[in-house]
Amino acid sequence: MPATLFQQNRGIKLLAVLPTVFVFTFVVVPVGNILFTSLKFESLKILKSETILNVVWFTTWQAIISTIASLVIALPIAAVIANFKFRSQRLIISLISVPFILPSIVVGAAFLQVLPNSFHRTAFALILAHTYFNFGFAARIIGARWLQIHPHLDDAARTLGASPRQVFTSITLKLLGKVILNSALVVFTLCFTSYGVVRILGGPSRSTIETEIYFRAMQLGDVSGALVLSLLQICVISIAFLLISSTRRTNRLQIINTTISRQRLINKTSQKLAVSTICLMSIAFALVPILAIFRKSLISNSSLSTNAWREVLSNTRVLNSLITSLGYAVVTILIATTIALLAASSLAYNKNFRFISALTSLPILVSAVSIGLGIIVTFDTQPFNWRGSQMMLPIAHALVALPLAIRAITPVLNDIPDSLRQASSVLGATNWQVWRTIDFKIVRRAIIVAAAISAAVSLGEFGASSFLVRRNSETLPVTISRLLSRPGDILQSQGYALASLLIIFSIIVIFVIDKFSTTESANSRA
Amino acid sequence: MLEIKNITVNYESRPLFTNLSLTIQRGEIVALTGPSGSGKTTLLRCIAGLEVMDAGTILLNNNDITNRPAHKRQIGLVFQDNQLFPHLNVSQNVGYSLKIQRVAKQTIATKVHEALDLVGLSHLADRSITNLSGGEAKRIAVARALVAEPEVLLLDEPLNGLDSELHSRLLEDLRALLTARGTTTLHVTHDHAEAATIAHRVLDLRQLFS
Repeated sequence: MPATLFQQNRGIKLLAVLPTVFVFTFVVVPVGNILFTSLKFESLKILKSETILNVVWFTTWQAIISTIASLVIALPIAAVIANFKFRSQRLIISLISVPFILPSIVVGAAFLQVLPNSFHRTAFALILAHTYFNFGFAARIIGARWLQIHPHLDDAARTLGASPRQVFTSITLKLLGKVILNSALVVFTLCFTSYGVVRILGGPSRSTIETEIYFRAMQLGDVSGALVLSLLQICVISIAFLLISSTRRTNRLQIINTTISRQRLINKTSQKLAVSTICLMSIAFALVPILAIFRKSLISNSSLSTNAWREVLSNTRVLNSLITSLGYAVVTILIATTIALLAASSLAYNKNFRFISALTSLPILVSAVSIGLGIIVTFDTQPFNWRGSQMMLPIAHALVALPLAIRAITPVLNDIPDSLRQASSVLGATNWQVWRTIDFKIVRRAIIVAAAISAAVSLGEFGASSFLVRRNSETLPVTISRLLSRPGDILQSQGYALASLLIIFSIIVIFVIDKFSTTESANSRA
Repeated sequence: MLEIKNITVNYESRPLFTNLSLTIQRGEIVALTGPSGSGKTTLLRCIAGLEVMDAGTILLNNNDITNRPAHKRQIGLVFQDNQLFPHLNVSQNVGYSLKIQRVAKQTIATKVHEALDLVGLSHLADRSITNLSGGEAKRIAVARALVAEPEVLLLDEPLNGLDSELHSRLLEDLRALLTARGTTTLHVTHDHAEAATIAHRVLDLRQLFS
C-alpha cells in the first residue's frame, strides 16, 4: 500500500495507542493470566477425566454435524442468490440473515417452542438450532463469492462440451471450494463455542466446553479446571482461524469477475419452481422459530393473552434489565465504534501499523465466556479490583463487537483513493479538514453499521454477561435465561415477551446494516 | 457447413437484429465486422447455444441444432477475454474438454502436447494461468478450443487489447493455424484490416439482415 497523505503527519501514530492499550489490557493480560494460571501440571490433570473427555468429544462432533447441516441447507440458497434475479430477492436475503444476528439465547428459546418436549435436551435439538443460526450466514458468504465467478467461465466450459452437472462439479464447485471451506471453519468455530443455545436447549445433560467452563467456574468453584478448558478452547479456535487465514490468502489468487452479473431472470417453469421452493423453505425455516416466540409471548395458560407483556412492562426488575441492557448497549457502541474507527484509521493511514489488524482480531480467538472468565480472574484483585465496576460488562461486550466493527469500517476507509485527499489538500484544506470533509463523509455510513453491530452484540451477549452481570443490574439475556429456567407459564411467557423484544431489535439492526452497507458499496462503485 | 437462417434476437424488448442469415462453407474462414454494440458477440453466443433466439434456425452440416444445448453443438468459442479456468494450469485448461469426456490420461497428455506445440507454448504446460502474458493467454485459449475438435470455431475479437506488434504476429499465426487445420471459422472483429488479413470472406453484420 503506498503512503497516504496522512502518513506524513506525526500525530497519526497516536491513533493506534487507544486500540492497543484497550486490547492489551482486556484481552492480552487476561489470556496471559489464563495461560499462566492454568499451565500447571496439577490443573492439566482435568483433561484426563472421563467427564471432560466426553464433553470435548460431544462439543466436537455436534459442531462437525452442525457445520455440515448448515452448508447443505446454505448451498441451494447461495445458488439462488448468485444465479437469479427476481423481485423480493433482497428481502429474502435479509430474512435469511436474521437468525445469524439473533441472540443465541433467543435461538435456544425458540427451539424449545418449536420442538416437541421429547426433543428437548437432545443433540438433535442443538444441531438443528446451530444449523438455524448459521445457514443464512453461510449462504450469504458463499452466494457473494459465487456471484463473483465470471459467467463466461461457465459458458467456456459448455462450449467445450461440459454438461450443466459437469460445469458445476468441474468449475463452480472447484472455484467455490476455498470459500466453502472458509465458511465451514467459521461455522464450526461458532458451533464449537456456542453457549446460549446449549445453556437453554442442552441443559446439564448436553454440556459443551463453553457451558462446562461456566459450570465449573460459577457452580463448582473449580476455577483452575475452567481455565484449562478455556485454554483448550482458545487453542482450537486459534487453529481454526489460522486455517481460515491461510484459505483467505490463497483465495485472493483466483480471477474474479466484477463487471458482468451472472444473475439472470427466471424464464423457465422448472427454474421458477426450484427457486420458489428453495426461497419458501428457507424463509419458513428462518421465520417459524421467530413466530413461535411471538406466539408463546401471547399465550398464558393455553389461551391468547397479553398478560405476559403487561407483566413485563409493570415488573420493575424486568424493566430494569431492559433499561440496563439499553444503557450497556449505548456504552458499548461508544467504546467499540470509537476504538474500531481509531484502529481502522491506523490501518488505512499508516502502512507500518499492520500489527493493529492482528491485535484487534485477538478477541475472536477468545470466546465470550473465556473473556468473562479472564476478566473476573484478572481484575478481581488489588490494584485492579474492577470486578464490581459497572463498566466491565460494556467493556466485555465491546471486546466481542470490536473485530466485527473494525471489519465494517476498514474496507470503506481503505477504498478511499488518496488522490481525493490530495485534491482536497491542494485546494487549501488542512489535514483535519481533509479528514472531516472527505474520509468522514465517506466512512460515516460504515460507522453507523459498526454501531448497529455493536448494539446487537451488546443486547444479545450472554456468555461474558453470565460471569460479569451483577444481581442488581441484570441484562436482558440473563433475565430471559432466569425466567425460562423457572416453572410457571406466566414467567415463561414473560421470558418469551423479552425474547420478542430482542428479535424486533435484531430485525431492525439487520435492515440498518443492509441499507447502509448497500448504499455505501453502491456509492463506492459510482 | 454452418447455415444461419432468419434469426431474430431482441434485447430488452427491442430488436438487436432481425431476420439475419449467413452461410459458412466447410473449411472457410469468414470475418464479420460491425461497430460496437451492433450485436456481433450476441450472434456468436446464439450460434454457440449460449443465448436464446427469438426466431430463426441454425443448421450444422444440414442438421438442425437450434434447440441443441451448447455442450452438444460441437461449436467452439474463443472469448474476447479468453476465460481460462483460474483453478487449472495451462495443460489442464487445454485438456479440459478431453477430461470431461473421460478420455484416457495418456491420450489427453499427447493431444495437449500437440496443441501446445501447435501454438508454440509447450514449454508452459505446467504454468499457472495467472502467470501468462496477454499473448500467451490468447494462444492457450485458442489451443483449448481446438483440442475439443469443434466443427466450427467462433472467435470473438480474439486479438483485442494486444499491442500492435503482438497483434500482427498472433494474427499471422492464427491464420496459418486455421488454414492448415481447415477449421471452419467465424471471426468477429471491428478491425477491418485484421478481417481482411485472416479471412477468405469479409462481411459486415448490417449486410446480413434481410
